Amino acid sequence: MTHRSVVRIVIAAALVGAAAVAVWRTREGADEKQVRARIEALRDEVNASTKDGLGTAARATQIGSYFTEDAVVDFGGGAVPIQGRVTLMGMAARLQPRTAAFRLELDDVGVEIVPDGNAADVLLTASFVRRIISTGDESRDAREFALVLAKADGIWRISRITAIDTLR
Amino acid sequence: MGLTRRLVFGANPRRTAVRVLVLASLSFVTFRWVLIPVRAEGISMLPTYDSGSLKFVNRLAYMSETPARGDIVAIKLAGPHVLYVKRIIALPGERISLSAGQVYINGMPLPEPYVRNKSAWDVPEVTLTTREYFVIGDNRGMRAKDHDFGRVDVSRIAGKVVF
Repeated sequence: MTHRSVVRIVIAAALVGAAAVAVWRTREGADEKQVRARIEALRDEVNASTKDGLGTAARATQIGSYFTEDAVVDFGGGAVPIQGRVTLMGMAARLQPRTAAFRLELDDVGVEIVPDGNAADVLLTASFVRRIISTGDESRDAREFALVLAKADGIWRISRITAIDTLR
Repeated sequence: MGLTRRLVFGANPRRTAVRVLVLASLSFVTFRWVLIPVRAEGISMLPTYDSGSLKFVNRLAYMSETPARGDIVAIKLAGPHVLYVKRIIALPGERISLSAGQVYINGMPLPEPYVRNKSAWDVPEVTLTTREYFVIGDNRGMRAKDHDFGRVDVSRIAGKVVF
């Protein structure tokens, strides 16, 4: 085999690989993209400080808009689950003055649309990154969460968040 | 110009291109699927691993053998990008408990030379299933409630932490 043949084979393999990656990246459906975008938007909303002029109540209302009326958030560890969008908004408003010290990061977001297309199961790792003011270091608390989203009037909203105990 | 070109592309540019492609492919495969670089964040593995230190996870370590007591392993959460790094202290089928910071395996105290400070952690005895390991960090000087530890299914072990 000549050098020219080897070069051609390597280039062809690289092109096939690149094409496979491109196809794999575009295969996810429109619903899956919408769910991902919705979750990323919620993350951005949580991370946004009140510097943009929105008051705590307005911010809490915006965060609440990502959840269904009867949403349930279960952080586990024996804590009582948070029931309902109104309760969530109240908690978001109370926590907000402290959110600037935190940053929420989401990794490994896996989305699965159920067959009828009106619900989605999401599994992700959420990291709460906190800056320690005295040392300037950051501490990271990562946890795994399972989310259920429901689609109504074309909008995806979270109906349940459950913390998963990776270590039991 | 000629010297610069020769320094960059070598005497035979095509051969250089092949070498670069092969090297890039090997590096991609190695560091994406075999030896994953991870940055230890947090204090739960002190003093063995400092926060911020770079480690590698050997994903092939347990293809021919099972995880052993004392191994430091990476544990998957929802995926491979955020991992817990913990030490295995109990194996499938064993009984484990902690009393006043001392680990007991099947009722016998476990020597742990890698632990410097021990707070008085207490964990009631549990019996691991045939698929479970018990993992914990080396920093036992911190409060137990601030430390993630416990039973983990074997399917969550992503590999052995090396280097």
